[in-house]
Amino acid sequence: MVITFPHMGTMYIPVKALFDELGINIVIPPRISKRTLEVGLKCCPEMACLPLKVTIGNYVESIKRGADTIVLSGSCGPCRFGYYGVVQKEILRDLGYDVEIVILDPPREGIKEFWERVKKITGNSPLYKGLRAINKAFKVCEETERLLKLVLQKRCREVYKGDTDRTFNRFEDKIRSVKGAQGILECIQETRKQLENIKVDNNKKPIKVGLVGEIYTIIEPYVNLNIEKRLGDMGVEVHREMSVDGWVKYHLAPDIKFRRKQKQILESSKDYLGLCIGGHAWETVAHTLNYSREGMDGIIQILPFGCMPEIVAESILPTIAKEECIPIMTLVVDELTGEAGYQTRLEAFVDLLHLERSRRENEFGKVLSWN
Amino acid sequence: MNIGIPRALLYFDYFPMWQTFLNYLGFSIIISPPTTKDILNIGVSLCVDDACLPVKLFHGHVAYLKEKVDVIFVPRLVSVAPGEFICPKFIGLPEMIKNSIENLPPLLIFNYNLYKGIRDKKDAFDDLGRQLGVSSSHVDRAYKEAISRQYIYEAMIESGQNPLAILHPKEKWDKLDYSKGVIGIIAHPYLVCDRYISMDIAKKIRDKGYDVRISANVPQTIRENNLETMPKRLFWSYGRNLLGSGIEWLKGNEVDGIIFLSSFGCGIDSFIEELIRRYNARQLRLPYAVFTIDEHSGQAGFDTRLEAFLDMLEWRCKDGYNFSPYGYDVYSSKSSIR
Repeated sequence: MVITFPHMGTMYIPVKALFDELGINIVIPPRISKRTLEVGLKCCPEMACLPLKVTIGNYVESIKRGADTIVLSGSCGPCRFGYYGVVQKEILRDLGYDVEIVILDPPREGIKEFWERVKKITGNSPLYKGLRAINKAFKVCEETERLLKLVLQKRCREVYKGDTDRTFNRFEDKIRSVKGAQGILECIQETRKQLENIKVDNNKKPIKVGLVGEIYTIIEPYVNLNIEKRLGDMGVEVHREMSVDGWVKYHLAPDIKFRRKQKQILESSKDYLGLCIGGHAWETVAHTLNYSREGMDGIIQILPFGCMPEIVAESILPTIAKEECIPIMTLVVDELTGEAGYQTRLEAFVDLLHLERSRRENEFGKVLSWN
Repeated sequence: MNIGIPRALLYFDYFPMWQTFLNYLGFSIIISPPTTKDILNIGVSLCVDDACLPVKLFHGHVAYLKEKVDVIFVPRLVSVAPGEFICPKFIGLPEMIKNSIENLPPLLIFNYNLYKGIRDKKDAFDDLGRQLGVSSSHVDRAYKEAISRQYIYEAMIESGQNPLAILHPKEKWDKLDYSKGVIGIIAHPYLVCDRYISMDIAKKIRDKGYDVRISANVPQTIRENNLETMPKRLFWSYGRNLLGSGIEWLKGNEVDGIIFLSSFGCGIDSFIEELIRRYNARQLRLPYAVFTIDEHSGQAGFDTRLEAFLDMLEWRCKDGYNFSPYGYDVYSSKSSIR
């Protein structure tokens, strides 16, 4: 059995650690490229959201490299993600690929079935081994996220443009050939040291922008045209609450402290949206409010075209922008998103934030509104 | 006090229930008129661009009502059956309305959530009664009345009647005396029952001599049975209706052709349509067409496609399945591809 899984940013690092520890063969899908997307575009429903099309491309490319089982997590919320597995299975079947798809639904949908599916993946390895592997993978997950946060901090302050990206790219190239959680952790530590040694301009006060929106489009750099790098190169410090690490902590690991904090943030947005409507719409609204109170200069929302929950959030955000006096821009991405137009909009937005900040500094005390 | 009910979205599913409940408690109801071009245009201009057509339309109906009534009734149906959901946009509907339309009268929000169990049904009505300031004993009686009325309404639809004919007795939807066949329209009630945005598709088909059945006409027990075979429980109530009726019709006994009527940007339809199309292509291959509508849809193009589809249906009746298979000579049945 050779397992593969869809890409989502750097999620492949902890997943690789997990399966390495369990001693299971995996194929990491090649980095998402135009070709990946083209596979998806040919065979997916036109109106489906972008992640469905990209992940199908991931599967096909992995199957060609020898994978025969696909693992993906599921959900039973109102978001379309919960039914990805079924639709993708039908599509792959018509394409002529006979593979097994194991959907890991949350245990409350049926604990027995969940257990059976986990067993299908892990085989007969004993429980303690599995738990140890999960524990290590979780550590890798946390460390990766810390590394990413460091990259975000360094990129906007670096003295020599491109230092941070060079270091991080080297890390990504290396990590694919490293085996085992221990090796991965060492690799992360090494990169961390390199990143810390990058020469930065400490006097710089970069513009701060918060990223909110649908988790896949925020985390996966190919889909959002690497917005973190684009903004970082313009000297903008990017903040993003949504992460793989956070998702795991909130949904899988019993991290009560983290949960309570998240719940608190969600509760604070009660005036705008007071219940979960699926996907990450509630988080989008709550984080937007939180960011504006934390003193961000601006907020960017990213969503894939046609994302059902985010559309609701999109219609709420203008009210927050008005009441909290903070610029908010919504970017809708899909397979037709053009690079030039995207870059122009980002530059214009950042220009506006600079202007807004200098005005605020000059006319201190005056109330300025965004609209 | 006048309560305004927008004639869009869930109106076509639950209006008798709401009407009975509110009337019993002594409130008068004002329904917005059937969709017109103006209502649609106002809705499109108010709503966010990415939303689907029915949601934009709902905005239009609310905007029409806002100066004519004291309170606007906005349903928030999170879930209509245990363990299932309705579309996320419906759950966030009151928020969308509040943040998109200015100078609104107070909203009467009907929070209906059966996700945890059927027992929560009455909570929604209790909550509504509280918002209206009615005593709970009154609410109890109105609730019983409303539920039984809704039950009759659903039974009437399942027996084959069109929701429009029940809601508006003036409309005639009798069974045709002579029909060339039956066409099944897989669509959400709020699309197919709105005569403006659906381009009156049901009537056009009937005028051509075909009987029409819509998804809601397939009894619920049959729909649920058909979904047993799905590898994973489908968790959208509307999705279940569409897919359940689609699978029933794909068996080939009931209808001669299937039309999938979808609105641009509908998330649920994009998946259900994909599944039904693939199932159809694998087995019976009923004549099948997808019509996607949005605010830019032109009447002429729509009619042409519909006529072409009906023509194809007739030719198939005439020619049966005697198509020459691709790549084979009809006469010698030898492969003509080298």
